[in-house]
Amino acid sequence: MTRPPLLEIQDLRTYFYSRAKEAFIRSVDGVSLAIAPGETLGVVGESGSGKSVTALSILGLVGGNPGVITGAVHFAGGNGASGPRNLLADLERYVSLTKHDGRIVAVAKDEPGWRAHVERALARVRGKQIAMIFQNPKSSLNPFVTVGQQISEAVRLHTGVTHASEAKERALGWLERVRMDSPRLRFDQYPDGLSGGMCQRAMIAMALASEPSLLIADEPTTGLDATIQSRIVALLAELKSEFGVTTLLITHDIRVVSRLADTVAVMYGATVMEHGPARDVLAPGVEPKHPYTSALLASLPSTQTNGRRHAVDGRLPVIRGEVVDTMNVPRGCRFHARCDRITDAIRARCMGEEPALATVAAGHRMRCHLHPGEARGG
Amino acid sequence: MAARELALTALLLLGVSLVVFVILNLSPGDPFSVLLEGQAPGHAARASVHEALGVPTTWYGRYLAWLGNIARGNLGTSIRTGVPVAGEIARAGPNTLYLTLGSLLVTLLLAVPVALYSASRAAGALARGLRLAVYLVSAVPVFWLGYVVIYLFIHRFGVFPLLSGSAEPARHGWLYGLLPIVVLGVANGTVSEVTRHLRGELGRVLTEDYIRTARAKGAPVWRHAFKEGFLLPMTEMIASKIPFVIGGAIIVEQVFNWPGLGRMVWQAAQDRDFPVIMGIALVAAAFVRLASLLRAVIYAGVNPRTATD
Repeated sequence: MTRPPLLEIQDLRTYFYSRAKEAFIRSVDGVSLAIAPGETLGVVGESGSGKSVTALSILGLVGGNPGVITGAVHFAGGNGASGPRNLLADLERYVSLTKHDGRIVAVAKDEPGWRAHVERALARVRGKQIAMIFQNPKSSLNPFVTVGQQISEAVRLHTGVTHASEAKERALGWLERVRMDSPRLRFDQYPDGLSGGMCQRAMIAMALASEPSLLIADEPTTGLDATIQSRIVALLAELKSEFGVTTLLITHDIRVVSRLADTVAVMYGATVMEHGPARDVLAPGVEPKHPYTSALLASLPSTQTNGRRHAVDGRLPVIRGEVVDTMNVPRGCRFHARCDRITDAIRARCMGEEPALATVAAGHRMRCHLHPGEARGG
Repeated sequence: MAARELALTALLLLGVSLVVFVILNLSPGDPFSVLLEGQAPGHAARASVHEALGVPTTWYGRYLAWLGNIARGNLGTSIRTGVPVAGEIARAGPNTLYLTLGSLLVTLLLAVPVALYSASRAAGALARGLRLAVYLVSAVPVFWLGYVVIYLFIHRFGVFPLLSGSAEPARHGWLYGLLPIVVLGVANGTVSEVTRHLRGELGRVLTEDYIRTARAKGAPVWRHAFKEGFLLPMTEMIASKIPFVIGGAIIVEQVFNWPGLGRMVWQAAQDRDFPVIMGIALVAAAFVRLASLLRAVIYAGVNPRTATD
């Protein structure tokens, strides 16, 4: 990673109170990620690993209570040549943390103040420089506004096009570019008249219509039929080669990531477990080094034969145990209770000490006591 | 669709008229006794009145006769005064319309800001206080508030002149009307309901996925939330609360001596003047129905899902 990143997340933490307010749900607990310009970063992980909340935190879209509490999001997009700016700048002015034994135990946050600050700080970023698409495209489009109007709105808000007819032409152009069938007909339809796949195409058109420097795709294929999923993935791959828009791709589907991502981050228990070039982290034929990544790949029903299948008696291997409880994050490695590579030699460390995200090779970092960085080399 | 709605409306009005007529006939008292005032209301005397006026002796006979008149566009004449009911309604109707629509406006002016504020700041202390105030105000009985207001503003402080229905038009006549409008608007018991519904709906819509999309897109949230979060709940509330406002109007018109349909129907009820009661009941039912038709039209116009059905 020689080029300066377009987006760099540093030690982001987004917490929520549990229902009775007696504990924190640590949805994002110290996430650090970076995306180089033009590259697609795939973030994979199980449900509840904090990937979506990470994405929403970037754009200030998480509700309070207490929401984003620490971290930095350096973003180098936009036409300002002033270098990267921190989208979470001044966060500490609204938040005060009480730490005990190195862990955050209490948060006091001026949420209305922070909310107002975010709205101001991100006014020129949302939609214009960073656009986002979501899962459940059907409910993510406004059911009371035609698809065409929603795309034209993005054009008019962010591209300096003020003329309605020109905005419509551009919107139609984008509907064509996302391979919407009969775009002129779809333009005047309401989302209710469109299928889920078409709605996601419309969402993608809407996101790209403002010509953002970063696209965040939050589970873009989740909730769609399998065949539609693969078509949307194909479309995203096509758009990637055609426009080369930098993308943060959030998904639980490793196949989507392996198809689209240049860099992969594997999240577990609200933090990043492994982060590196896709060919190193997921690529076929290469044994994944991190036990969690390895377990995740092993549980895939795949036709790939790369020698790492250990399916026995025709069953898919599963990762035993439950996803880590982000309310009661264990003291040691977040994955230790489910890890099957734990050895007696390192057990005590795995249970008592959280491994750092250490560099194991150029651009490849992981959080595991089995791979303590430089010692192993790579 | 329009034909179906019209047929439904006709059916509704027919049902309302039948129910009201039956209740009138089940209640004690004979409307025609009023013509025998000062005389001993013997059975023979009453029968002679009926016969002289050509009124059918059975209740269904009278209902059918009334219905026949309605079919010819004739609301009949008041038994007490002999004046055509239609003309009376046309004379008093605008006063009631002014009172009900005005008070509805007052209700909305109270409820909407509180709802909008507390939907945007759900947990604020001020929002909670405002909502509590709104609930308290809604619990105030309209007749009580009416008398208190009359005592305070008219008798004690003399801010407003006493309104008398029969007086010559005063110079600031419209101003005198404000007091009953405000009283009915505040105490018709719907302020809290309107606040709660609007706040609930807007709050729900603000958590919808498409509002998150609008925020991610940098579009104004209100532009996307307006239809489902404001227009539809407002329409719903106005249409469904009109019966309550009309009910409150009957009381307020009594308290303030307001020359509208409410006072007229009250007087007619005292006299068992059934053509007047029936006429006003019909007009009120038509008004309520009109409001719900308007709601249906707005819903169809706003919501692509109902429009395509």
